[in-house]
Amino acid sequence: MTLGPFLFAAPGALLALLALPILFFIMRATPPAPARTQFPPTRLLEGLRTEEQSRQRAPLWLVLFRMLAAALLILAFARPSLAPSAAESAQGGRTLIVIDDGWTAAPFWSDVRAAAIAAASEAERAQAPVFMLFTAPAARPRDPGEALTAADAKSRIGRLEPQPWRPDRAQAAQRLAQTRGNFDRIIWISDGLNDDGAEALAAELQRRGPVTARLPSQTARTIINGSVTPQGVVAEIRRAPNGGGVTAIAAETLEGRSLGAAEVTFSGDALTASARIDLPPEIAARAARVRLVGEQGAGAVRLLPAGAGRPFVGLVDPGGAGQPLLSELFYVDRALQPYASLRRGSINELIDARAQALILPDASRIAPTDRAALERWLDGGGLLVRFAGPRLANDPDEFIPVRLRPGTRTLGSALAWETPLGIGAFPDDSPYAGVTAPADVSVRRQVLAEPASLAEARVWATLSDNSPLITAQPRGRGLIVLFHISAGPEWSDVPLSGLFVEVLRRTLAFAGRSDGAGEREITGGPYAATRLLDGYGVLAPAPPETAPIAPEAFATAAASPATPPGLYERAGVTSAIDAARADETLTPLTLPEGIARAGLGATIERPLAGWLFGAAAALLALDLFIALMLAGRLPRFARASAAAIGAIVFFGAAEQAHAQNMDDPTQTLRLAYVRTGDARIDRTSQQGLEALSAMLTERTSVEPGPPVAIDLARDDLSVYPFLYWPAPNTPRRLSDQALANLDRYLAIGGMLLVDTRDAGGASGRPAATMLAGVDVPPLELVGTEHVLTRAFYLMRSFPGRVQSPQLWAESAAAASSRDGVAALFIGNGDWAAAWSGDAGVTARQRELSLRFGVNLVMVALTGNYKADQVHVPALLERMGEE
Amino acid sequence: MSSRAHLDALALAGDLPGVLLDARRLAASAPGLHGRRRSGQGEAFWQYRDHRAEDGARLVDWRRSARGERYFVREREREAAQTAWFWLDAEPGFAWSADPARTTKLRRAQTIALALATLLSRGGERVGAYGVAPRAGQRAVDRLAYDFVAPAPSAPPPKRSCVLFFSDFYAPVEEWRTRLAACADAGANGALIMIADPAEEDFPFRGRTLFLEPGGRRELLLGRAETAREEYAERLEAQRRAIRALGNEYGFPALLHRTDHGAAPTLALLIALLSERFA
Repeated sequence: MTLGPFLFAAPGALLALLALPILFFIMRATPPAPARTQFPPTRLLEGLRTEEQSRQRAPLWLVLFRMLAAALLILAFARPSLAPSAAESAQGGRTLIVIDDGWTAAPFWSDVRAAAIAAASEAERAQAPVFMLFTAPAARPRDPGEALTAADAKSRIGRLEPQPWRPDRAQAAQRLAQTRGNFDRIIWISDGLNDDGAEALAAELQRRGPVTARLPSQTARTIINGSVTPQGVVAEIRRAPNGGGVTAIAAETLEGRSLGAAEVTFSGDALTASARIDLPPEIAARAARVRLVGEQGAGAVRLLPAGAGRPFVGLVDPGGAGQPLLSELFYVDRALQPYASLRRGSINELIDARAQALILPDASRIAPTDRAALERWLDGGGLLVRFAGPRLANDPDEFIPVRLRPGTRTLGSALAWETPLGIGAFPDDSPYAGVTAPADVSVRRQVLAEPASLAEARVWATLSDNSPLITAQPRGRGLIVLFHISAGPEWSDVPLSGLFVEVLRRTLAFAGRSDGAGEREITGGPYAATRLLDGYGVLAPAPPETAPIAPEAFATAAASPATPPGLYERAGVTSAIDAARADETLTPLTLPEGIARAGLGATIERPLAGWLFGAAAALLALDLFIALMLAGRLPRFARASAAAIGAIVFFGAAEQAHAQNMDDPTQTLRLAYVRTGDARIDRTSQQGLEALSAMLTERTSVEPGPPVAIDLARDDLSVYPFLYWPAPNTPRRLSDQALANLDRYLAIGGMLLVDTRDAGGASGRPAATMLAGVDVPPLELVGTEHVLTRAFYLMRSFPGRVQSPQLWAESAAAASSRDGVAALFIGNGDWAAAWSGDAGVTARQRELSLRFGVNLVMVALTGNYKADQVHVPALLERMGEE
Repeated sequence: MSSRAHLDALALAGDLPGVLLDARRLAASAPGLHGRRRSGQGEAFWQYRDHRAEDGARLVDWRRSARGERYFVREREREAAQTAWFWLDAEPGFAWSADPARTTKLRRAQTIALALATLLSRGGERVGAYGVAPRAGQRAVDRLAYDFVAPAPSAPPPKRSCVLFFSDFYAPVEEWRTRLAACADAGANGALIMIADPAEEDFPFRGRTLFLEPGGRRELLLGRAETAREEYAERLEAQRRAIRALGNEYGFPALLHRTDHGAAPTLALLIALLSERFA
């Protein structure tokens, strides 16, 4: 049912509105609850009547307020929705929704989706089947003849994402032509751009039913060209005549960090504009893509594959071990380390490793066998940086940008007129333009170019007398750069100055992207996708099933389902297929007569029930407060609840904190014993350690928490300073994990008491079995001089259940790393039994045994602190003598 | 002792040290009761006076008389220990305060009673809770404090002693008449200390209010509580007048104390009243 712009899904609920007047009288007759108060002299009030019985009835405003809440609830149950066009477009019949789902629709994709859902909703109200036709080609195109319920259609639209290529409407028209039947309504949600098939599709649609085209107000724009130059990132942007006139581009690294941005303005009616993001060459070299700011769509992104990372530079190693500071490559290495991935090797090795640039010092010669490979590599776009030196001066080869005059020019030597020269200002067309050479950098020796050959080469830097210092010449797609000085400090100060770093970095901006960037001919298999663009222009890792592309096809590939746009890799070199071709044309869609046009920004119906329920709930909550207020209980209520919450929080926290303290062995010292698995032994250990803990608490300042049973293999032992390990009746070897744990425990300074318990019939040497695999240090019998005899109580023996047991300890020599404090004690006293007051132990024996336990814990906690007393008799004797 | 009363007593006992402390502080600031200041049976020296013929030779203080020409008689200060009984209202409405932050009437009554008891026992009098054997000496006050906590057994009025009634006196006047008459018949007198909460005095209630008597016996719903204020004030005044008249009739002068006021002035008034009685 519709009511103006409102649509009610359950209009029956509106009948409940009729009950509102009845509700009014009921509520009016019910007075609010009185305030309750205790009052001792109530007897004095007895018989009192106040004249006016105020609020016998609820106040009118309160009743109206509650009525409003009730009305909202009723309206909400009627499930209304706001649909401005509900009345006019609630027409139905077989509906065909055509969606241009290429990247050209991505900038306004939410509108596309909203329009499609609106169309499906209309069909839903008419209970008509929905058919869908997507114009962008897909790997498995949907059959437009498949009838969907509106709900299915909606969920399919909800999952629909734009494709990273443009629609192919001719093919869509073909697919539609293969289906039968006419439609009562055709909604064409278009990207607003024309293509070759638009006419065919329009004709086919018109043949099948009345068509409404939903067109966006502004069509998509695209970057048709992007490149990295030493001056920055340059991009060319194209629009349709109805595309927006102002935008901005931004250069990003592979990780998506923005490097810089520039504004783009289309002048007048121009359809193409270009812009440059000014960046220093070394930053520009890191640009991996350029995108239109604020516009989503695969076409709004241009990939710049060669900039994806640090250039890989090969240093051609002359071999031989020289003085490092005199090695030519040392300076280059230090200069480029932060900016490039460097690798040393021979020319062949480095070319095989796909070096983007080679640096060739004078000492490294180009062997005749390397020539062919180097030539090929240069043709493919390599950057060769050479340094002059005595060898080059006397015997130049052909891999130099200029012809050299034999010999060198020496400036400032004893036999020369000329003094060392500074470096001249860099020419404007040089990549080093803008760098200022330090005045104290001078050149003492250089190789000179034949003036005639300079015409073919580019001079990037000169000395102050205009003689060339750095020259460059393209070779194939590659570039050769020659420094007319040596790479070391013998000929000039340049390698010692910051200028060297700057110049080399700027030179490397050409690595792998001089004229034919990224398209080097390198033998290898097909192009494999690494990261693919989605329709919105986001790079995502390529799904593994993406088919590789043959090199022949790759050169001409345009974005399509078979060749999706994105980054591809072949033989270590990254290349890209972009969503938009370099000659992409964007023209507005022309529609034949008879097709109705509508904007895309239309609203769809908005369900209101949720809001109404929310509002009603809020009103009811408010009503509770009003009721409390009228009853005069609000302040007390608030105070009491605050107090209650405070109390709960406080006591809860205190309780928790307390519990945590007792259980946390890092907060409270706890004695530990190894769980043997034998319930009787474990119980004895538990009771024994409890008794010992109680004794400690009573007599010493050590106040341990309850003892804890631990599993050697699993528990973290490091928090327990003392570990008691009674021998089980049948000792077993420890698991590897437990061994490692125990070894670590002993190493970090824990104390372990192994108690063989002298269980009588127990086989041979239980301790040997128990400790098999543990790194057991040398042991010594604990004598009367041991710190254990005086750590707290003075003791001569260490009785347990066994009257005079043997007790062995790690020898002081072995424990020297721990200042002589033994980590391991082994004995047969069955102490836990004595501590727990086992039958057959006299009170005296138990007392002595507990004293031993106290001493043991003291040693565990204080180490050899009391060992000093060992010397007391001697000291006393000496004092007596004096 | 019923379990409920027992619980109440325990709850209150938790506060006893506080009450005792309040009382001690209060007693320390009070002017105090003096000795009897007349000669009589006692230990302390009071005065020498001239020997009179009827005294006989036995009473002559020979040591003093030897220093002069005349005979002297040594008189001692009269020490007649009296007993002060404290009666605290056990109604649930008495242990009530309109504002939880304010002390209850009962607690204030205990404070004043214990402070007074401290002063009295310092003066050598015996103090006791009504119905419990009175005591003298240092521990008497502590004992009294504990007796306050236990519900008082009903006991016959003590003979010829001082009974101090602490209550809000909202019970019907007839009830008080029987109680006071019984005391007067036994020769006792004392004072009535009417302790009131400010809410009971000022009646600050507004709007539709349900008044509940603590203990849950009566309840009353007023449509507009503020309109009942004057009527209530009149009735309260009438009740107070009746109680005062009753007290005067039987020798129990009445004092009014509000719990939002300090306890010291009331204690001073009480002391003034009692120092006559105990003089």
